Amino acid sequence: MKNTSENKVNWPVTILLIAGLITIAFPLYLTIVIALKQPSEMTTTISGLLSLPKTFSLANFKEAMEVTDFWHSLGNSLLLTGVTVTLSIVLHSLIGYAIGRNRGKSKFYNFIYLYIVSGMFVPFAILMMPLVKQTAQIGLANRAGVVLCYVVFYMPMNVLLYSGYLKNIPIALEEAACVDGAGTWKTFWTIIFPIMKPMHATVAVLTALGTWNDVMTPLVIMSGTGQNTLPLAQLNFQTQFGTNYNLAFASYLLALLPILIFYLICQKQILNGVVNGAVK
Amino acid sequence: MKKSKRTISLLLLVVLLAGALSGCKGTKSDSGKIEIELVQYKPEAVKAFEAIEEKFNATHDNIHLTIDSPNDAMTILKTRFIREDNPDIIGIGGDVNYSNFVDSDMMMDISDFDGLDTIKQAYLDIDKNLEFVPEEGVYAVPYMANAAGILYNKDIFDEHGWKIPNTWSEFIALCDEIQKAGIQPFTFGFKDTWTCLAPWNAIAVDLAPADVCQQVNGGETTFTEEYREVSERMLALLPYGPEDPFAYNYNDACTAFANGESAMYTIGSYAVPQIKSVNPEMNIDSFVFPAAEKAEDNSLNSGCDLQFSVMADCENKEAAYEVLRFLLEDENIQIYIDDQTAVPCKEGDFELPSILDGMASYIQEGRMKDYQDHYYPSEMAVDAQIQTFLMKKDVDAFLKKFDTDWIRYNRDIIRKVEEYNKNH
Amino acid sequence: MNNKSKNDKKRAFLLMTLPIVALFFCFNTLPLIKGVIYSFTNFKGYGQYDWVGLRNYIDLFTDSRVGGSYWFTFKFALITTIVVNVLSLILALGLNSKIKCKSFLRGAYFIPNILGGLVVGYIFNYLFTYILPALGQKMGIPGLSSSMLSNPKTAWLAIVVVCAWQSIAMNTIIYISGLQTVPEDVYEAGDLDGATGWKRFKHLTLPLIIPFVSINMVLTMKNSLMVFDQIMSLTKGGPAQSTESISYLIYNNGMSGGQFGFQSANAVVFFIVIVIISVAQMSITGKKEEQL
Repeated sequence: MKNTSENKVNWPVTILLIAGLITIAFPLYLTIVIALKQPSEMTTTISGLLSLPKTFSLANFKEAMEVTDFWHSLGNSLLLTGVTVTLSIVLHSLIGYAIGRNRGKSKFYNFIYLYIVSGMFVPFAILMMPLVKQTAQIGLANRAGVVLCYVVFYMPMNVLLYSGYLKNIPIALEEAACVDGAGTWKTFWTIIFPIMKPMHATVAVLTALGTWNDVMTPLVIMSGTGQNTLPLAQLNFQTQFGTNYNLAFASYLLALLPILIFYLICQKQILNGVVNGAVK
Repeated sequence: MKKSKRTISLLLLVVLLAGALSGCKGTKSDSGKIEIELVQYKPEAVKAFEAIEEKFNATHDNIHLTIDSPNDAMTILKTRFIREDNPDIIGIGGDVNYSNFVDSDMMMDISDFDGLDTIKQAYLDIDKNLEFVPEEGVYAVPYMANAAGILYNKDIFDEHGWKIPNTWSEFIALCDEIQKAGIQPFTFGFKDTWTCLAPWNAIAVDLAPADVCQQVNGGETTFTEEYREVSERMLALLPYGPEDPFAYNYNDACTAFANGESAMYTIGSYAVPQIKSVNPEMNIDSFVFPAAEKAEDNSLNSGCDLQFSVMADCENKEAAYEVLRFLLEDENIQIYIDDQTAVPCKEGDFELPSILDGMASYIQEGRMKDYQDHYYPSEMAVDAQIQTFLMKKDVDAFLKKFDTDWIRYNRDIIRKVEEYNKNH
Repeated sequence: MNNKSKNDKKRAFLLMTLPIVALFFCFNTLPLIKGVIYSFTNFKGYGQYDWVGLRNYIDLFTDSRVGGSYWFTFKFALITTIVVNVLSLILALGLNSKIKCKSFLRGAYFIPNILGGLVVGYIFNYLFTYILPALGQKMGIPGLSSSMLSNPKTAWLAIVVVCAWQSIAMNTIIYISGLQTVPEDVYEAGDLDGATGWKRFKHLTLPLIIPFVSINMVLTMKNSLMVFDQIMSLTKGGPAQSTESISYLIYNNGMSGGQFGFQSANAVVFFIVIVIISVAQMSITGKKEEQL
């Protein structure tokens, strides 16, 4: 009897969960439908708002792309996220390694560890205004400045992850390499760095999700310089859509699509990465 | 040694990446032209300014002009000031931001600019009044003025034979009549807090002294005293608006008015382009807000909507003046007026937009007073306080808070005024 | 190991650490210190400024707008943390039971988390302003027939809804991985004792996943205390200043309102508050874990 109940599919829960999907699907459905309609098709009745468009036209998307300079913003978002992730993996794993291997025996490294990890408590709000001034003074009120900020903001979290993961890597591996005559740097690049691959994936996913969707950092550091990211373009052009909600929604959909597509492709890796990061 | 080389090459990589990322922006003065950058705060006028920019660059070989019209320009400008990345010329409104910039010595004294002679004295005076303490020199060229009051749907008014009211009682009677006819008298966009200021200003110029803020700063009176009637009349408008005036923003309200959902709209002339973009055929006219009981006490609410200042650290003063001169040429002013429904601050015969017909006599007679909110410090967020008041409907609490907040946010200015008065 | 290679090793580790620490110092600690310095001035962000001593700090405690923003932020963070954790635990229990298309459902429920808060806010803004009232009127529910965002009593709830919609996804995933650590034989032993349903959850499951509850609590609390994007896109702090979060107020008044100095003081206090809360949270959950 016990065996049968174990293999039985729990249908009520399945149905409930599928029904619950409507909370996820409805806003997305709404976005798609409105983005495809023309202003004349919008009525104030609920059925008029939610019905499918009568004709299929991509005109809204074309216009929205022009208004928000879509390809440029997309390029910037990709560039910022890509460079930030690359730098984070290289720099944070490096310092994570140095700290992780020395923390136990050196007060100095333990202090550095606590110093960096405590950066997690510093809210962006307090750094925001001085950072704006500082980045501008050293000529970094641009994409490079934003990347450097990100590399620093994600450092506490990533150092925590890397140095934690290092505990699972037996020190014997390095000692063997040392006997073979490899220096510390070589040991890191040839042995430690490849072995930390699962953690690289986690760091990449967490850092990428954070930077891709971030509004505030590029808003304060780059606003007015003519460079937009995808979310920043939405903010900046919000008033220009004015009364044309169809155009606005086409633009929202465009802003959401890249990450949605990416998620559909790498769903498994992303979910694993997120779990890894949170549980460690 | 090898190891430190690695660190250095790693650092070099970082620097290179950083360089590649920042590489795009640089000075474009490859042709040896003087670069002048103008940032103006009215994104809705972007088309007019694009036309002017193009025309300027076509006629000038030695100066290249760039005009930016960003959204939320005031935040962007202040962020740029924080970064010390100032444009050469800024086009802003004659409001408290201007007062602050002058007070912080951000602007250049342009009293030697020849174009100032052509500007109507009334507007130069308005700008002078905006200075916290009288400064020596001139810091802005008033360019366009706007007027706020009531826009009305001419077709609806003509159809029912309604007349323009001249006093508060006539006005309320008209609202009742409109409501009886089954039409909603007003539309409001109070979700955007700043729209609360439009009727507020229009009522305040009729009922409160023009220099009420200076009087309060000097300790002669209080807002509780001067703004009570203003607040009460403001509140009296609510029953004539939509059921939930706080659900809709400025754009929604403009759309509703354009679609004939209300007979009147308490907003400034600056809203007309937005309304016409929804309904280009619409027949709009305007009248002065009749908030006083005596018709002769009413005045038109008008102030500098757009004025240009040269920043103090601008390196090419002459080139900046040339841009200002160009902006003040009659045909360029006309480009702007045609696009934006504004009143030019320059003397001369300009074709005024027909929607200002109802206010024209006030403009000719000079019966104008500046917007009171041009004196309110922006961090006090009076607009949000008015919105709160309209929801809670508590006149006493609102005015009390207004007075205490005023002293708190103007402390440094009040001290400055006191010091100035002591020394002069 | 001889001395030379030991020294080499030491130097290599230092070279790995110091440049990166310097970077961290420049973009984290230095601005933090500058922020503290600015908090003692009446700096507007541009132009001249004076030292004002502790005036900004004294003002903070008498400023009703700042008080309002703290009240809103904490009320919001607390409710969001509770709502999100309860719902995501339920969702995780569902997704971890024996259901069809498990991986599809898990993947689908995670979607809101990858979407940007600003754009999601804009979409929900439309939903609250037009769709919900239309729906409410049609179904004759007076509570829904006007926009939730236009009423100071309900606007903050709308923000809770949007933030919960997004962060439930993340917490659910963490809870699922927590539930998977519970060994099957614990349940089997429970079955023998007759523990089922709620009882089984309370006495068997919950104690075993307490570490995950505490991670989720800390994560949600921290994110909700810093809420910004959703405020920017849904209400801009309105109506009647009822939804101004601390981050929003600091950004808005500090950057565009000319209160650079005053809002720096606000940020310093906010920083201290965050540290206190985090330390308290960790020591409480730490104790709980010890007891188990």
